[in-house]
Amino acid sequence: MISRFLLSNMDRRGYVFLALVAAIGLLVPLANLLVPAGSPFHVSTATMSLWGKYLCYALLALSLDLVWGYCGILSLGHGAFFALGGYAMGMYLMRQIGSRGVYGNPVLPDFMVFLNWQELPWYWWGFSSFPFAMLMVLAVPGLLAFVFGWFAFRSRVTGVYLSIITQALTYALLLAFFRNDMGFGGNNGLTDFKDILGFSVQAQTTRAALFAMTCVMLASGFLIARGIVSSKLGKVVIAIRDAESRTRFLGYRVDRFKLFVFTVSACMAGVAGALYVPQVGIINPGEFAPANSIETVIWVAVGGRGTLVGAALGAVVVNWAKTMFTSGFMAPYWLFALGVLFVFVTLFMPKGILGTAQGWWEKRRKPAALPAAEPAPAE
Amino acid sequence: MSLAIRLIRMLAVIVALLAAPAVAFAQTAEEAFARFNADSFSDTARAVDILVQSAHPNAGVIIEALADGRLLAGGGAVGAKTKDGGFLDARTGQALSAEPGGVSAVRLNNNVRRAIQAALGSLGLINPDPAKRVAAAEAVFRARDVSALPVLEAAIANESNDRARRALREAQAAILIVKTDAPPFDRIAAVDVLRERGDQDALATLRALPGDASPALKEVQARAISEIEGKLALWQAGQNLWYGLSLGSVLLLAAIGLAITFGVMGVINMAHGEMVMLGAYTTFVVQELIRTNAPYLFDWSLAFALPAAFIVAGAVGIAIERGVIRFLYGRPLETLLATWGISLILQQAVRTAFGPTNREVGAPSFMSGAFELGGLAITWNRLWIIVFAALVFVALLAILKLTPMGLQMRAVTQNRRMAAAMGIRTGRIDALTFGLGSGVAGLAGVALSQIDNVSPNLGQSYIIDSFMVVVFGGVGNLWGTLISAMTLGVANKLLEPYAGAVLGKIALLVFIILFIQKRPRGLFALKGRAVEA
Amino acid sequence: MNAPVPGALTSSLLYLDGVSVSFDGFKAIRGLSLTIAPGEMRAIIGPNGAGKTTMMDIITGKTRPDEGTVMFGGSVDLTRLDEAAIANLGIGRKFQKPTVFDFHTIEDNILLALKSQRTVLKTLFWQTASAQQKRIDDILGIVKLADKRERLAGSLSHGQKQWLEIGMLLAQDPKLLLVDEPAAGMTDGETAQTAVLLKEIARDHSVIVVEHDMGFIRELGVKVTVLHEGSVLAEGPLDQVSANERVVEVYLGR
Repeated sequence: MISRFLLSNMDRRGYVFLALVAAIGLLVPLANLLVPAGSPFHVSTATMSLWGKYLCYALLALSLDLVWGYCGILSLGHGAFFALGGYAMGMYLMRQIGSRGVYGNPVLPDFMVFLNWQELPWYWWGFSSFPFAMLMVLAVPGLLAFVFGWFAFRSRVTGVYLSIITQALTYALLLAFFRNDMGFGGNNGLTDFKDILGFSVQAQTTRAALFAMTCVMLASGFLIARGIVSSKLGKVVIAIRDAESRTRFLGYRVDRFKLFVFTVSACMAGVAGALYVPQVGIINPGEFAPANSIETVIWVAVGGRGTLVGAALGAVVVNWAKTMFTSGFMAPYWLFALGVLFVFVTLFMPKGILGTAQGWWEKRRKPAALPAAEPAPAE
Repeated sequence: MSLAIRLIRMLAVIVALLAAPAVAFAQTAEEAFARFNADSFSDTARAVDILVQSAHPNAGVIIEALADGRLLAGGGAVGAKTKDGGFLDARTGQALSAEPGGVSAVRLNNNVRRAIQAALGSLGLINPDPAKRVAAAEAVFRARDVSALPVLEAAIANESNDRARRALREAQAAILIVKTDAPPFDRIAAVDVLRERGDQDALATLRALPGDASPALKEVQARAISEIEGKLALWQAGQNLWYGLSLGSVLLLAAIGLAITFGVMGVINMAHGEMVMLGAYTTFVVQELIRTNAPYLFDWSLAFALPAAFIVAGAVGIAIERGVIRFLYGRPLETLLATWGISLILQQAVRTAFGPTNREVGAPSFMSGAFELGGLAITWNRLWIIVFAALVFVALLAILKLTPMGLQMRAVTQNRRMAAAMGIRTGRIDALTFGLGSGVAGLAGVALSQIDNVSPNLGQSYIIDSFMVVVFGGVGNLWGTLISAMTLGVANKLLEPYAGAVLGKIALLVFIILFIQKRPRGLFALKGRAVEA
Repeated sequence: MNAPVPGALTSSLLYLDGVSVSFDGFKAIRGLSLTIAPGEMRAIIGPNGAGKTTMMDIITGKTRPDEGTVMFGGSVDLTRLDEAAIANLGIGRKFQKPTVFDFHTIEDNILLALKSQRTVLKTLFWQTASAQQKRIDDILGIVKLADKRERLAGSLSHGQKQWLEIGMLLAQDPKLLLVDEPAAGMTDGETAQTAVLLKEIARDHSVIVVEHDMGFIRELGVKVTVLHEGSVLAEGPLDQVSANERVVEVYLGR
């Protein structure tokens, strides 16, 4: 049943995307590990980690597209779920340091020793176990999304209001995680990781494995999202996006459907964050910044909302462009470019790269079959 | 007070000071001069004390000279070198033609310096200037130096100025509190004096009561302490309320422009904070121009900055509306994204033009400093910002309710197509409304430049708070915005002492998130079918 | 004035008594009482602002009445339920302005409306059984959209959307249908066809039709309730009602 759920209704675009992710996930680590450094086909570890980061962002964008593109929930707080997943992973990595920290305390992470803490706070218990930490990667963002969504959707907070309170949510978490006495390393966050599952996080092979894992998770995330949106539930969710009240009059409990999609999406964002942390080597409260969440929205918008593949594509393209920009003489102008991108996409390319390309493609193939009146999405 | 009474008092004091113990004073002063000759630190310190208690007419001059190292002693003679290089006899105060023979400067150590400090304090008690006497009494109050008591008592008897007398009595009380051998009745009275004073210092002094005090005294002390603490807590609450109102007015200023663009037009302007920032930078530019061209106008710089900021921010707002937002009406989420992009562009533009660091915006003289009102410390800039926020609020209400433009704005808000059919140029009204909201944000920037860092990130720090205020107050309702801003401001400041600044803010954010669940349209929402449509 | 007869509660499908609601001081519905028997088809007319749509909002749970009783099937208090629960009880609604899911195909619109369990998990792992597919095909046939089933609903004309919505109502298979101005914006031919369709539906469903078009109501040939300023002005066959002096007065504004 599961495989049918995942693969039924898979279209050609989906297969292309899966094949692409699989190829990258296989070839890049190989090109890094097996191809000698001098060869033009060699991929440096730094490049691989950079692209690993992009792919984490792609998974985050995918999760956002699920709620925004299909359910019409513009979350301006998805960065919070990403960061929480990241912190869960970071806590595991901190506990793996053991007595190799600067202060050599076998139990307490360095920053706790520095703050004169005597014992590990209860919410750090269990994080030395990898399975537990992975469970938390899903559970913490999922639970937050569930509780937040349960309140918000039940009382029918929609549209801009919902966007603003999701932003308030991530802002509140930003402030909270900056506090030293929260027990998450305050301003500096969690860093100086050593091992993951007994392998050094710095090692080339670990990096390659993490990269491959990111591709696996991106593909899985895509399959799950794709399965959801092409099921009847997906149709309900789109119906909610376009005419929420009408859906309710058909007897669907709109709040529960939204809650389901929102929670699944938050878990996906958490996984993205968890993969991000070991590849980047740090997690700090900056990840909660509202600006980060809004940037995620623009990745989705650039790629094409409501297309899944487009969202992932948008994340990679925008972040690649960001790296290009900020590493050269154009660095000071990146914000100009990003700002213009926001304005340009919303004004001239509301369907994003993929949606626009798809429109051209369909127009050329069967111009007669186009709907007479282009329906406008309800917000 | 009549001159006669004053004269009689003065006479009484003179009689008291001079008549009977005059000889004794003369003798003790003589002892002091002897000790100055002893060339020992402890003798010198003692000499200072004795000299003060003797009320020798030259005591002030002598001790001042000693403090400066100009006091000369030797062979029984004591002289002082004056500041202009002359010499005088310490005993008589008469000028000498030349330096007396066989004298050398009296040496100082820390112990002596301390004695000098205490002495100068005591001597201040008989300074002719009442303000100086009050200051000296305050110094004695803090020092609680038992040896100052006789001088203090003499000064109290001598004092004719009410304020100075109270200060002296308080100083006396402070000493009595620590003077265990004082008459018990006097000490209880002293507690009462301190209770009346009722500030933090009085509290500290009362707490300094030695542990071996009598039970009666201790009970009086405990009662006085709890009374003062109660009073201080009340003032503290008042102070927090004031801070809250001040924060509330800042929030109101930042949010009220948003209440127009978001509340009246339904446009989510994420670049609103940048309009505030532009206002602040306009203030900076205006001040720079005034500094270089007409420095004498500096106190008026804000008066020039206000219209300038309104025009700059308003014009940028109109440009944004005409250039971007009008293509996105009815698509609030897209508007949100596009205006976020604009905010990035504006931030970067300002960063490129003015640099990433904070810019210095000066305060005109009428906005600097503070004054005290009862137990409240009130800074002028906060006070003016509250006044300014109130003015802006009233002006906006008036524009919306009383002017033809306001009428048209409301018409367009309620029924755009109908308004258009009635001949209102809705596009123009949209632009003007947006310009007004942005211009008001610019005005807010002028005010905020007085209390916040003027940097390219200025706007970012206000945007979320502003949205919270508007959403909490209920969209489309200026009064709601006012009440919301004040409520959030006061709640924030009242929470701060218990939860700390950050936790308090988090608590408020969580509260608003929960509140929106309960009342999705804010405190003062419109009801009915029209809203649902 | 229109006090329901004793025993009406238990024998009725829908029972409204003394219902009032106000928006910001304006009383949209005042003391409305109405009873619909099982299998009955009822037409409701009234000038603008008479409270027709608000009445439907109250029955379907969109608006909570300030006071009054709204009972369904003799025992279920509708004022305590939300829209989804009421829809699942078997009350379907067609809106005045046709509201279909523009980005779904016509077939998917019917599928979404099709009577089924509406839980999250059931919809996530939904498989359309052949009986259900046949029902969808039947309905598409009835509303004459079978040949357009793959088209997006957003591309339909106004009249077609009205029919699609009626098809969705059919797919819901409710006990009671609330139909708000089904003939609005239709040609005369379409209006006549709609009337035939509704009459057919009324054979095994209770229906409440709100309509302005007198010709349409005459064609339906059912009992008529006239609303005015939020309460019932007159009730009875169309001829009798249209002879009522007060009704004439209200409609002609004398």
